[in-house]
Amino acid sequence: MTALARNEALIGAIPILGLLLGWQAAVSAGVAPSALLPSPVAVFGRVAQNLGDPDFLGHTAVTLYRLFVGFLIALAIGVPLGLAGATNRIAGAALKPLVRVLAPVPKIALYPALILSLGFDDASKIVLVTADALFPILLATFQGAAMVEPKLVWSARAAGTSPAGTLLKVILPATLPSILTGSRIALVVACIVVFLAEMITSTDGLGYLLVRAARNFQTVDMFVPLIAISAIGLLLNGALALTRKKLLVGFPEED
Amino acid sequence: MTAAALATRTRATLLPGLPPLLACLALLLAWQLYARTLSMGGIPDALSTIRELPAILGDRESLADILDSIRRMAIGFAIALAFSVPLGLFMGRSRTVAAMVNPLLMITYPVPKAALMPIIMLWFGVGDASKLLVIVLGVSLPVIYHAYQGARAVEEKMLWSARAMGMSGPARLARIVLPASLPEILVGCRTGIVLALITMITSEMIARQTGAGNILFNALDMAQYETVYAMILVISALGIVLDMLFEYVRGLLTGWAEPRHDLLAPSL
Repeated sequence: MTALARNEALIGAIPILGLLLGWQAAVSAGVAPSALLPSPVAVFGRVAQNLGDPDFLGHTAVTLYRLFVGFLIALAIGVPLGLAGATNRIAGAALKPLVRVLAPVPKIALYPALILSLGFDDASKIVLVTADALFPILLATFQGAAMVEPKLVWSARAAGTSPAGTLLKVILPATLPSILTGSRIALVVACIVVFLAEMITSTDGLGYLLVRAARNFQTVDMFVPLIAISAIGLLLNGALALTRKKLLVGFPEED
Repeated sequence: MTAAALATRTRATLLPGLPPLLACLALLLAWQLYARTLSMGGIPDALSTIRELPAILGDRESLADILDSIRRMAIGFAIALAFSVPLGLFMGRSRTVAAMVNPLLMITYPVPKAALMPIIMLWFGVGDASKLLVIVLGVSLPVIYHAYQGARAVEEKMLWSARAMGMSGPARLARIVLPASLPEILVGCRTGIVLALITMITSEMIARQTGAGNILFNALDMAQYETVYAMILVISALGIVLDMLFEYVRGLLTGWAEPRHDLLAPSL
């Protein structure tokens, strides 16, 4: 780490520490009763305590299951559709207006309809996650595939590669950076949506833990699931950035 | 390009609204067919849902609720823009400010803002203040981020020229950095609109008092399924109309800029 980078990291810690200290100071000064505003020490203590609690870990596992299944389905639908839209004119003409109409629809408003047709269990939540994660992946794939250097495709075709082979061996790898970018956005969105869906109707999962704590007026416990889901979002984002670095040596970094 | 393809392209540019309109019709038709044939009942079809719309939009109380939602969203959006754009531009032009704010942005980005509602309600009650606050929080992060990216990419030579001509620091920020970053700022705004809609509906679902989200989820609880589907249609239409409106405004403001590849933005 260079001196400059170290300095910047130190500067960056100031507002975060300031926020935490301000929070603690507000609690110590008695600005609000601790039932309304628990101290950061109490909150992070409870987080640490919960990490060893099998009940809490079970709820986290449920949330992660819904998150990943929904995300993987979105990936399985979004990437082929995006590739088809970019490489086939008819598919593109059909796909573009549909995406233009569906992408700005707030998917969370569809959740009541999903509950009515799929029930209160996992299925409706997974479909909601898929609906929200699909568009970032689909659009990123589409844009990435549309910008693949045509000369690469021509060369592969001239060298005798079949159209399907070109798609798999030339276009897909060239689109990978875009797909990873789309996946990063989709994962953060998926974390948020799965949590909200669990808050609306659920008997398990991190979102449910927040609602349960709110009903019982246990303020400290309300912070714990929020911190957990944010940490999951951050970790997944970091993991994907690392994957990108490993997979795509030589590609320019994004930030 | 064949003559037929050319003709299609010309028609598409003459009527830019036509393909999305056709897509809407196709979706409604698919819904109608699904509800009539495949579903086991319980799902109202598209036609009867559309017939339900006048009852909702004609009812003084529910119309007031929907307008209330739009009002909150607009105010929250305006407040968020008012501080996020200057902050983002400032970060883009000062390395120290950027180094200071970036880590905070990074750790707050994945926090589900609408899920803060139960905690914020403890402090500010179930009224407008709490809902506005979550909307502001939701909108501000993408706007700050994109304003920062835009300001960072401003051509240095333009700033040197302005300085050489004697323009002061704040004037440079307002008259050079702001216009040059505008296309990127608008990308952030587009994400912001989508997030404003999501946080608006979710906040109203959690603090049931007024609003479109309130009607939607109350109807769900009371098993008024026609109303549920009709409200979904209203909210979806709101999202689509806002998106089109945004595209129009962007065309007016940054028609000079190269069209950007930011299809990604609406779904963030």
